[in-house]
Amino acid sequence: MSTGLQTASGVVVSTSWVAEHLNDPKIRIVEVDVDTKAYSEGHIPAAVGWDWSRQLCDTLRRDIISQQKFEQLMGESGITPQTTVILYGDNNNWFAAWAFWQMKIYGHADVRLMDGGRKKWLAESRELTQEAPKIQKTSYKAKTPDYSIRAFLPDVQAASSRKTADLVDVRSPQEFTGEILAPPGLPETCQRGGHIPGAKSVPWAKACNEDGTFKSPEELKTIYGGAGITGQKPVIAYCRIGERSSHTWFVLKYLLGYKDVKNYDGSWTEWGNLVAAPIERP
Amino acid sequence: MQAQEYHERKEQLAGWPVKIVSYRLGSTYYVSVHNEEPGAWIVKCEGQTLADAESKARRQAEEALAKVKRTPPAAGCTSVPGF
Repeated sequence: MSTGLQTASGVVVSTSWVAEHLNDPKIRIVEVDVDTKAYSEGHIPAAVGWDWSRQLCDTLRRDIISQQKFEQLMGESGITPQTTVILYGDNNNWFAAWAFWQMKIYGHADVRLMDGGRKKWLAESRELTQEAPKIQKTSYKAKTPDYSIRAFLPDVQAASSRKTADLVDVRSPQEFTGEILAPPGLPETCQRGGHIPGAKSVPWAKACNEDGTFKSPEELKTIYGGAGITGQKPVIAYCRIGERSSHTWFVLKYLLGYKDVKNYDGSWTEWGNLVAAPIERP
Repeated sequence: MQAQEYHERKEQLAGWPVKIVSYRLGSTYYVSVHNEEPGAWIVKCEGQTLADAESKARRQAEEALAKVKRTPPAAGCTSVPGF
């Protein structure tokens, strides 16, 4: 039985592995898409859908969801602390990785990503349904939040000015240089273009193959090591709003095994709008 | 239900390299347009025929992409003492 990419931490599963575990009661499959309508078009049988814009963000505080909201979401999704959660989504798992990162902040033990995400499942013509699964609600108690995997502004300021960590900018090269303020066709959400001084540019997509699956650890080591992101120092990944960088955070922490990796979810929408913050171009 | 006729191809729209993804679910065709860098979904449209879904998606994507402002990158670092 194929389990997908062989990783030391076993956090990536293949589409075929998921297809073989659709009825496994120990597993909960969850779809999280950029396109929040995609789930209702058709999803993996028994998968629940999370809307990142409402259920994985506190838009009032501009924050991740609170522990209470997290526990509520898990309970409504039929997840217990012992459940193996398989996350997948569109855009090569951007927001699936965002959900993964939040689940790790709140201490969920067994979370995995489906390699290739929704795109690969569709391309392989695997079974889909529009039926919402019948969920037996649970009572979920999260662990104390682990903010060692989350970078806040002071961490990033120290990384930039005192080189306390390697900064990796995972946006497109044109966002990095300041030529554009947001991915082409998406709303501009910052005042200035450029990047955080000292950051290295490694666009998130370099970690993926054309079919959406992750590249091998050897290839990834060459890509990130070649940019000076070796894991010898702590690493902070950032993008525009923190979802692409949660993908890179996942790659660095779980596929390359770097010990100290943080996702800066404030990202360019915080730094690029910050009064008096230095920026670098190109 | 399964996705049928899944297809991806690369093109230029409004001067930007994009990927056009199409597939059919049941009797509905879905077409999405993604920027090539960084690979983000821009628009997605549906229709009863592939041509109908694709023409809507192309039109909406072109409108969105035409609005992108390009700024020639300036060299140098702006720094603020004491920051």
